[in-house]
Amino acid sequence: MLVWILFLLCQVGAPALAQDLCQRDAPNGYKVRISLKTALGEDAYEWNQSEMFFFQATMAFAMRRHFQMETYNVDNIILCVQTSRVSFWFVVTSPDNTTMLIPKADVEKAVRMSRHRINNAFLLSDRTLEFLGIYPTLAAPVNPDTPPWLIVFGVVIGAVCAGIIALLVSSLLQKRRKEKGMTEDGQDEEDMQVKGVENGINLDGTYNRGFTDDDRFTKL
Amino acid sequence: MGKDAARAEWDNPMQFVLACVSYAVGLGNVWRFPYLCQMHGGGGFLIPYMLMLVLLGVPLFYMELAIGQKMRLGSIGAWRAISPYLGGVGMASVVTSMYLCLYYNVINAWSFWYLFHSFQSVLPWAECPVNSNLTGPVEECERATPTQYFFYRETLDISGSIEENGGIHMGQALCLLLAWIIVYLFIVKGVKSTGKVVYFTATFPYLVLIIYLIRGVTLHGAINGVKYMFTPKMEQLAKPTTWINAATQIFFSLGLGFGSLIAFASYNQYNNNFEKQAIVVSMVNSSTSIFASIVTFSIYGFKATFNYESCLERVRLLLLNTFDLAEDTISLENVNHWIAELNRTHPEQFASLGGRLETCDLEAELDTAVEGTGLAFIVYSEAIKNMPVSQLWSVLYFIMLLLLGMGSMLGNVIAVITPLSDLKFISHYMSTKTLNGLVCLFCLLLGLGFTTRSGNYWFTMFNDYGATFSLLFIVLIEVITVCYIYGIKRFEKDVEDMLGHRLNWYWKIMLAGVSPILLIALFIFYIVNYIQGGTPTYQAWNKELGKSVVTEYPPYAQAFIGLLLASSVCCIPLTALYTYCKKRNLASGKRERTVSTVSA
Repeated sequence: MLVWILFLLCQVGAPALAQDLCQRDAPNGYKVRISLKTALGEDAYEWNQSEMFFFQATMAFAMRRHFQMETYNVDNIILCVQTSRVSFWFVVTSPDNTTMLIPKADVEKAVRMSRHRINNAFLLSDRTLEFLGIYPTLAAPVNPDTPPWLIVFGVVIGAVCAGIIALLVSSLLQKRRKEKGMTEDGQDEEDMQVKGVENGINLDGTYNRGFTDDDRFTKL
Repeated sequence: MGKDAARAEWDNPMQFVLACVSYAVGLGNVWRFPYLCQMHGGGGFLIPYMLMLVLLGVPLFYMELAIGQKMRLGSIGAWRAISPYLGGVGMASVVTSMYLCLYYNVINAWSFWYLFHSFQSVLPWAECPVNSNLTGPVEECERATPTQYFFYRETLDISGSIEENGGIHMGQALCLLLAWIIVYLFIVKGVKSTGKVVYFTATFPYLVLIIYLIRGVTLHGAINGVKYMFTPKMEQLAKPTTWINAATQIFFSLGLGFGSLIAFASYNQYNNNFEKQAIVVSMVNSSTSIFASIVTFSIYGFKATFNYESCLERVRLLLLNTFDLAEDTISLENVNHWIAELNRTHPEQFASLGGRLETCDLEAELDTAVEGTGLAFIVYSEAIKNMPVSQLWSVLYFIMLLLLGMGSMLGNVIAVITPLSDLKFISHYMSTKTLNGLVCLFCLLLGLGFTTRSGNYWFTMFNDYGATFSLLFIVLIEVITVCYIYGIKRFEKDVEDMLGHRLNWYWKIMLAGVSPILLIALFIFYIVNYIQGGTPTYQAWNKELGKSVVTEYPPYAQAFIGLLLASSVCCIPLTALYTYCKKRNLASGKRERTVSTVSA
């Protein structure tokens, strides 16, 4: 009889004990927040008891992967305070002693280690499956050997310098050709004095306006 | 007159018009006019703007073109020819243009920097870089925004105040070098090369503006910005600052007083019809301003709507997370309704939210009016990073900024080179190419000072004080010289000689009467404003706070401001004095010689 009463008490007490272990703001627990609609939009699946079970299994896997010696089971992950947001709290009990909780720091290490696997299990990301208090490690910045802007800069400045050298060389060649007594390329026979002079220095002769084209009003 | 015979000329009048357009249509049309429009009552600002264009802008533009075309010399030679005592006006123009050359190309260097950085998969100003222990973004970037961080830290590496000098930012120095090399490439053969370049620099920005207009008005929320801009607030017209800002904007936008217009016109054929061209260029300049502000405001509207909706999203998430409601209960539309609801039903929990609950206001987002480099490099890049295919838009935008800036730089540099190459002793010793190269090199070396860590503060100083006040003075003296010292009658005769018809009454009244009066009023206003303003201040970037704080200039910086203002202005009286003394010596020398001849 006594044994039977004790057995009944244990059956009632165990979940009550579990309830005591897992509560809002539990010292060794973490709050999880899931944003299915933000992540998946139209393809969002429904969050139900099966999904909760899946979560327990994933966490047990994460704990096993981190500790490697100890065999965690679904019963070791206790969930509570579920809301329609979808958010809930969870605590992890030790497989050897179900009344003892695994410290927060160890749980954090396990979660960090398998974060990528946990996210992918639920088709979510660091932003949509949040463990409040565990900040995701950001991706290291990619540092290329040559910054890309320097490459573009090199191309542009090379082209511009080539342009300047081409211009200077071509004008030098033209000057040499002129010195040899040939007329400059592209010069009209009629108005010799003004066109093609580069630096405004006097050529021989003066400009007689009476002999220009009588185009008084230049068009726009 | 033998020297004019061999003067270089534009290939055709179209090159001259495009050069003027390229020079006048610059960065100010894109980043100053929209700001003024917003500050002074939207669509209503167009009234004072157009009025000032007609009363002040077009007549003065016409006058400068007439002088250049008639005298066929740069500003120093032209003004000396008009009145020997006032050759200093030309010199003051050259000094002011030199200051402008020094600091204006730094903007082009920044545009190059941003352009080269646009060729990456993620724009560097889109996100904050991660800090050294990979836990979160860099603190300075967190407190400010990623675009501000990129501009102040990565582009400028700005120090805390003008007193803290640092080393030269190598990337900036390289970009400045590139900018000057390109300027040299454009001017190396004088107007022959410049004339061909302006076909591109004058027309391509319009192409980009049209593309941006189409992109801008199709953006989500753009209509908010355009509506905001065009809703006229007529009460602004009653304030005198509106009219003064309109006059100042017309004045500086057309680039009067720098000597660039005189230089450009000096390469014209003697009978070129500059009257029509003056009107055309002024109209084109103003309509570009209005066009650019439509583009700017649609981008503003997009940015404001984006920020407003992000704010609503953050508030929605905060409410969902605090009250653990299902995701689809609160949507962006009923956020405000839910705030009231939750405040009523769960007051204590709501109070625990405290300061984290932001108020989202679209009007407040639209009200953030920015001008200058802040608009071009911070606000615009923020809007661009949120557009789809942002790299393409970024490249297009910075190419447009570059073309606008380069086009104006051409005018600035030619304003310095033309008078120098007209001086006999310089043109005797070196060719145009060497002179151009030397001027570019000189400006590059001095401009490196603006690439130091405190360089942006010096840049702002030059921008605010280097050209504003002295230009007003220069143009005022110019108008009074032409109309009263040279004489409006003689000017009329010169114009008739060039164009074939006399000045009509509009030009005569504006030049002789209205424009000088307006200029004197502007001048007095500037002096009064300067005296009343107290110690000049500037915006220093505070690293810890992540924003700019108003700081006073140290005494040596204030002295430098005084030097900037005085150095160009005092050219005029000093040259007048020098000429007077020379003439007196010459006169007394002649008398002595005459006496000695007689006695001998």
